[in-house]
Amino acid sequence: MSRLEKASAGAVALMALAGAAIFFYAPTDFLQGAVQRIFYLHVSSAIAAYGCFAVVLLGGAIFLRTENYAADRWARAGALVGVVFTTVTLVMGMLWAKKVWGAFWVWDARLTSTLVLWIIYAGYLLVRRLTEPGRQAARLAAVVGIFGFVDVPVVHFSVTWWVTHHPGPVIINDALPPQMLATFLFTMLCTLVLAAVMITIRYRIETLMDLKQLVPSPVQVVITREPGGVAGPVQ
Amino acid sequence: MNPFRAAIAVARKDLVSEWRTREMVPALAQFVVLALLIGNFGFQIDSRNAPSIAPGILWLALVFAGLIAFGRTFAAEREQSSLEAMLMTPASPVAIFAGKALAASVLLILCEVVLLPALWLFFGTPVSAGVVLAVILATIGMASLGCLFAAIVARVRARELLLPLLTLPLWIPFIIAGGQAVQSAMGLPGSYDQAIGLLIDFDILFVVLTSLAARFVLDE
Repeated sequence: MSRLEKASAGAVALMALAGAAIFFYAPTDFLQGAVQRIFYLHVSSAIAAYGCFAVVLLGGAIFLRTENYAADRWARAGALVGVVFTTVTLVMGMLWAKKVWGAFWVWDARLTSTLVLWIIYAGYLLVRRLTEPGRQAARLAAVVGIFGFVDVPVVHFSVTWWVTHHPGPVIINDALPPQMLATFLFTMLCTLVLAAVMITIRYRIETLMDLKQLVPSPVQVVITREPGGVAGPVQ
Repeated sequence: MNPFRAAIAVARKDLVSEWRTREMVPALAQFVVLALLIGNFGFQIDSRNAPSIAPGILWLALVFAGLIAFGRTFAAEREQSSLEAMLMTPASPVAIFAGKALAASVLLILCEVVLLPALWLFFGTPVSAGVVLAVILATIGMASLGCLFAAIVARVRARELLLPLLTLPLWIPFIIAGGQAVQSAMGLPGSYDQAIGLLIDFDILFVVLTSLAARFVLDE
């Protein structure tokens, strides 16, 4: 087993433990019933998504300053994993909202800003797909990543004067019973480990894909060795 | 070289070029009138619901006209490869960027000169000084972001696809605050002063940020 495989197995085991804690250790919510159990993974994956986008921001900023392609690969990895966790947050939130508020979607500050977050980083991934890999694409993506990170709090702030349905930060103001708090903190830790492992794996994939572009495969070299043609690798 | 004079010179060059060809402004004006036409058929508009629908149509028309305007900003420079020549002059990239953004906002404001009276004419909604102020404040911020990303995508293959994709989500704060300001100026509930305050804040934030980023985008 390689180190990455061990790490992934560990992350999956941790998530299974978190699942057990959510369903068997945490008490059932008095008002909302079983559906409140969505909370643990919903908030954890939102925090993990913010962490991933912080990686995109840092990677982009470092790339703009130093032109270090490893930083750009970390940014690419962070964006993909971040979009996955934002999707999880949105879908779980919508299911919870349907049960508690009676509608899948309301245009509340946190929902709107999370949707914009998703759109910006899904756009970031499209930028990577639509541009030729290289310095241009990396610089472009870095600027997108930085502006995306700035835009989300701004969107959140600007919708806040609309009536908000979303509950405030329950963890900070001591509203959670100790067992729920313990379950939440454990789930958040496990989700962050999972995100870190996923980013590392994706970083490895991005590195291999970059290498594949730099080093021509034997097939490409063979094709260029035509009679009369100039031998050598093609880009 | 004085950056302000350089920026004004770049803006003047773009505006003179537009004055000689007269391509963008007539096309944009026709575009926004068409957008109002579509709005009219898409909604059942009468004198009672016009104030609640008109702001939405206004922003939709403005956003898409803006995308066209900013997408074209760097098109001519790309076709003639004149951006490289401009970057070789002593003018700083930030001044060149500011000049391009200034010219693009002037073009968009010219298109608003058609849009706002047309809105008043077709939908009967009051177009007060408050509406004009909100639209112009939003245009400044939208132009700074729009021009930055137009500059970025100018050298990319799929630029027509990428520009709206990247710019629209970043414009959302301006649509939220500007939408609120126009709605309350047209008599719907909501605080006008707060929305205008937010628009000014966003303008300052994004003009500063885009100027900082312009160095990385244009400095090739």
